[in-house]
Amino acid sequence: MLVIKELQVSFGELIVLKGINLELKKGEILAVVGESGAGKTTLGLSIMGLSPGRCAGQILFKGKDILALSEEERRLIRGKEIAMVFQNVEDALHPLYPVVDQVMEALLIHGLKDKKAAQRKAMDLLKALGLSEERTHFFPHQLSGGEKQRVLLAMALANDPEVLILDEPTASLDAITRAEIIELLKKVIREKMVLLITHDLSVAAKLAHRVAVLYGGRVVESGATQCIFTFPRHPYTRGLLRSYPNMTTVKDLQGIPGPPYKPVDGCPFHPRCTQRVELCFREVPELKSLGDRYLACHRGGIIPLLEIKALSKSFNGVRAVREVELTLYEGETLALVGESGSGKTTLALTIMGLLPPDKGEIWLEGQKVLLRDKGFYQRVQMIFQNPKSSLSHRMNVWELVKEPLDVQGWGSEEEKLERVRKVLEEVELPADDFFLRKYPHELSGGEAQRVAIARALVLNPKLLIADEATSALDASIQAKILKLLLSLQEKRGLAMLFITHDIALARKVSDRLAVMKNGSIVEEGPASEVITNPKHPYTRTLLSLAADLKEEISILPVDAQRPK
Amino acid sequence: MHVDYWQEIREDRLGRIGLYLILLLALLAALAPFLAPYPPEARVGAAFSPPSSRHWLGTNDVGQDIWSGLLYGARTSLVVGCGAGLLAGTISVLVGTSSALVGGFYDSLCMRVVDALLVIPPVLLAILVGAYFKPHLLTLILLLAAFLWPGGARIIRAEALSLKEKKSVAAARTFGAGSLYIMARHIVPDLGPVWLAVMIQDARRAIFMEAGLSFLGVCDPTLHSWGKMMQQALEFTYLEVWKWWLLPPGLALSLTVAALSFLSFALERILNPRLRGEREDAGH
Amino acid sequence: MLIWRPNVVNYIVAFFIILTLNFFLPRLMPGDPLQAIYGDDALIAMTPELKLELIQRFALDKPLGEQFVAYLRALFRGDLGYSYYYHAPVVSVVLGYLPWTLLLSGLALVLSTLTGFILGVEAGFRRGQGLDKLLLTTLMLVNGFPDFFVGILFLLLFSVVWGLFPLGGSLTPYASLKGFDLVLDILHHLVLPLLTLVVVRCVNIFLLTRSSMVTTLGAGFILTARAKGCKDIRVRYHHAGRHSLLPVVTAAGLHLTHLITGTLFVEVVFSYPGLGTLLYNALMVRDYPVIQGVLLILTAAVLIINLMLDLLYLKLDPRINYAR
Repeated sequence: MLVIKELQVSFGELIVLKGINLELKKGEILAVVGESGAGKTTLGLSIMGLSPGRCAGQILFKGKDILALSEEERRLIRGKEIAMVFQNVEDALHPLYPVVDQVMEALLIHGLKDKKAAQRKAMDLLKALGLSEERTHFFPHQLSGGEKQRVLLAMALANDPEVLILDEPTASLDAITRAEIIELLKKVIREKMVLLITHDLSVAAKLAHRVAVLYGGRVVESGATQCIFTFPRHPYTRGLLRSYPNMTTVKDLQGIPGPPYKPVDGCPFHPRCTQRVELCFREVPELKSLGDRYLACHRGGIIPLLEIKALSKSFNGVRAVREVELTLYEGETLALVGESGSGKTTLALTIMGLLPPDKGEIWLEGQKVLLRDKGFYQRVQMIFQNPKSSLSHRMNVWELVKEPLDVQGWGSEEEKLERVRKVLEEVELPADDFFLRKYPHELSGGEAQRVAIARALVLNPKLLIADEATSALDASIQAKILKLLLSLQEKRGLAMLFITHDIALARKVSDRLAVMKNGSIVEEGPASEVITNPKHPYTRTLLSLAADLKEEISILPVDAQRPK
Repeated sequence: MHVDYWQEIREDRLGRIGLYLILLLALLAALAPFLAPYPPEARVGAAFSPPSSRHWLGTNDVGQDIWSGLLYGARTSLVVGCGAGLLAGTISVLVGTSSALVGGFYDSLCMRVVDALLVIPPVLLAILVGAYFKPHLLTLILLLAAFLWPGGARIIRAEALSLKEKKSVAAARTFGAGSLYIMARHIVPDLGPVWLAVMIQDARRAIFMEAGLSFLGVCDPTLHSWGKMMQQALEFTYLEVWKWWLLPPGLALSLTVAALSFLSFALERILNPRLRGEREDAGH
Repeated sequence: MLIWRPNVVNYIVAFFIILTLNFFLPRLMPGDPLQAIYGDDALIAMTPELKLELIQRFALDKPLGEQFVAYLRALFRGDLGYSYYYHAPVVSVVLGYLPWTLLLSGLALVLSTLTGFILGVEAGFRRGQGLDKLLLTTLMLVNGFPDFFVGILFLLLFSVVWGLFPLGGSLTPYASLKGFDLVLDILHHLVLPLLTLVVVRCVNIFLLTRSSMVTTLGAGFILTARAKGCKDIRVRYHHAGRHSLLPVVTAAGLHLTHLITGTLFVEVVFSYPGLGTLLYNALMVRDYPVIQGVLLILTAAVLIINLMLDLLYLKLDPRINYAR
């Protein structure tokens, strides 16, 4: 068992790792993921006792603190009991020695005296890892990237160590070789304690039992791999997953706002976090247990922004919304999909307070909404389907965008003008006086919708409800508006309830999908999950009818049980 | 990247020392006729007189003033260094850039000659030719430059080749610029720092070789040279005279060469980003 | 890494340049070519019969082309000419002095390379620390000192002032020492010239090794070696040092050239009876056949050793064999 307690590594003034607590059990693979510069490699090197920085805290291996050992004692552990597999960079192997000699060296250093036997053993090991006999005598430059990675692995495995540290073991390999190496790793690292350092989430997902997310030298979230990757709770973890290109997410790639980590006070992530509060600037959150995981966030992870609890609404005895339960988290898009008349718009209008609910509650930022005052509308805004009708034809752009500010009684005229210009620029509209004096009938459809969005955004809301916001637009304009909304979401952490009948569209913009039929939510989950593995027959029907560029039309009966 | 090289050299400790030493030496050499109390070849005192107020560094075996000889020796060293450095540097640039730009057969021919010359020890060649010509100042400069240019030509060619790949040159070509225009406007100006480094290196070796040739008695005996002073003084090591006759020219020569070494070392560190990083690290 | 091709052609061209210079220089000098070819002493001993014989021998009455052929032919017979100063064939004169130069420069080559390399490895390993800074500054300063001046300083200090070592020569004359005493005597005379060459010539190797070490230590395979559990000293020499040796070998040709010219000068300072002293004396009396002979043999030696070094480099760096 390897236990890391309160590990801190610093280079002069710069603290690279801080307060790291990790445990590795036999037969367990722990992945440490994070962006470059997060301190992943430093962590691996400090366990090896090779970190050039100053280490404080404890690294307990077999009851001994590695950090407290003498250099000579550490050297005897290195490569024997704890070994490290390096990334196959240009010069990870010595260019002037045949690879078998380099593997053999690891054996000879740690006690094996007989050179012949060592060479035999090194060759057997290399062969077992998939190198042909003659290639064991080759020099590194004669081997392919995958073969060199195998040699590096053989070197680490030579003395059958108990702890294995894998540092980016598949970076710089092509996809097929990567798959081979992952397969190989799966085989050889059983029964060992393995620390997998990687920025490649897919490698972590395939190999690791548990995962720890490192940011700015601290663990911000850790837990079972499946759990963390499916339901990230830390905003950074979610950002990492959103920006990672893979085949399971369906939403467009999104970055994490702001520049990469620089040392700051308080929570390391706060400069890039969209849900930060004043506390985050001052205090470093502790890594606390949440049952299924550990999380370091003052807000308890990504906060639920909007909670709809058992909401029902009927018109003249017809129930348009039935017992709807929905939660919308900060900075995410929840797509509400369903055919017309399924109750989507009624739900939106009820949330906005434009229709009174019959039953049920609406919670905003952890508080039950009792009355919809200015404070509520400052945080929640809505874009309607037809922009022309939501924009008064008697007002020009300036008055339209400023109207919410007037209503809220916000600032002076000069401040309002500045704010209006800024938000117009944000939605990529001209902000000059000429444009400000235009009236809705002088605007194109796209421009009008942008003005509507600007109007909704001018109050800096946390939640935007978009009700078929783009369905009246041409596809090319629609694509631009959607990109705009997503980039605003990335920048501001805007949460969106995206109401649409078009599941193909929903797929591209949403983190989660809820399918509504006859006033009820029939299915809900991560967008990728719902799209690739629909549970409810209605969802399958919607999917089969979704826009594609094939010739045939396939209407699946609503009650069909068999997926196509 | 734009780097102010003089600024960088002044900020490098070794470079600064080298620069000041060379400036001091140049000043002494330029003012030699005013600073030297006697003409260097005049027999102005008793032989082997020790240092005195009349003869700061005493006199040699035929009664010439050593301090005057030392000052005029500085002139020779600097003139030979600058002359050979400039000449060899210019040949290097001409051959290096034309080779890089023209390419093809001309390039291979030039580089073949350069490679062949590079494996021949230049000092041996200089001794051989010098033994026949007994070179004086101008012939000596020509002779040294003739053997010094190949090393620089290789460096300049490599640099010119990498400059040629730059986008600005490609852009100039798209405007229809010819080789000559590109050489004059784009390559040679950017070669400045490397050229400077090559010339300093050449000057250093030229001063070295001049002293060596004079020490072996290869040069014209009327040439005032530190090397020759040392050759003559070496015969009298059994007397006390070495203290003021043998050591001063030796030290002066070593300081000059060391100053140029420092300068080129500093320049090399500035030019090579990897060593540049090292310099910053070393400051910690 | 540069793609390194040993190019025999370079050496042949270089050798040809030297031969051409050797041939044309005396013949194109103004005045009597015989004087330029044979030096002043030949003219003193000159009789009409000898003059006729000499003119015939070098075909001096024929066109230049034929003269050149005659010259080359003589060379290939091993005939470097005749020194009228020594009254002996140049070859035998040179061979008499050669062993001392070989002894001095050979030992200097081994010791200076070894010293420079070890100091470079240790300084590079301790980069930025006291030892490194001390070595770097001292050796940079020494770098400015010409070989012969360092020799002079050592001579003055150790022989003239302290009297620890002989003032010159390679052994005590007329002592007729035998066996072990002879060896000791030779070593006693050898110390100062050797020390001079080692001190001056280790500098370049040191600087090269050190800067190569600095880059090599940052390489991935160093970390790999340490992660294997290699001892510091093994990392320093087996891994980093071996890799830092490559640029040293690349520059070995240059090193050798400097060393040989340095030996010439140092021999003059210490009156060490090698080729340098022979050359110096020949220059003094304008014994042109000997000057030409010494320089030709030295250049040829430099060229041949350079070629061998190129071949050695192939062995040291396996990557080159596969470079296209």
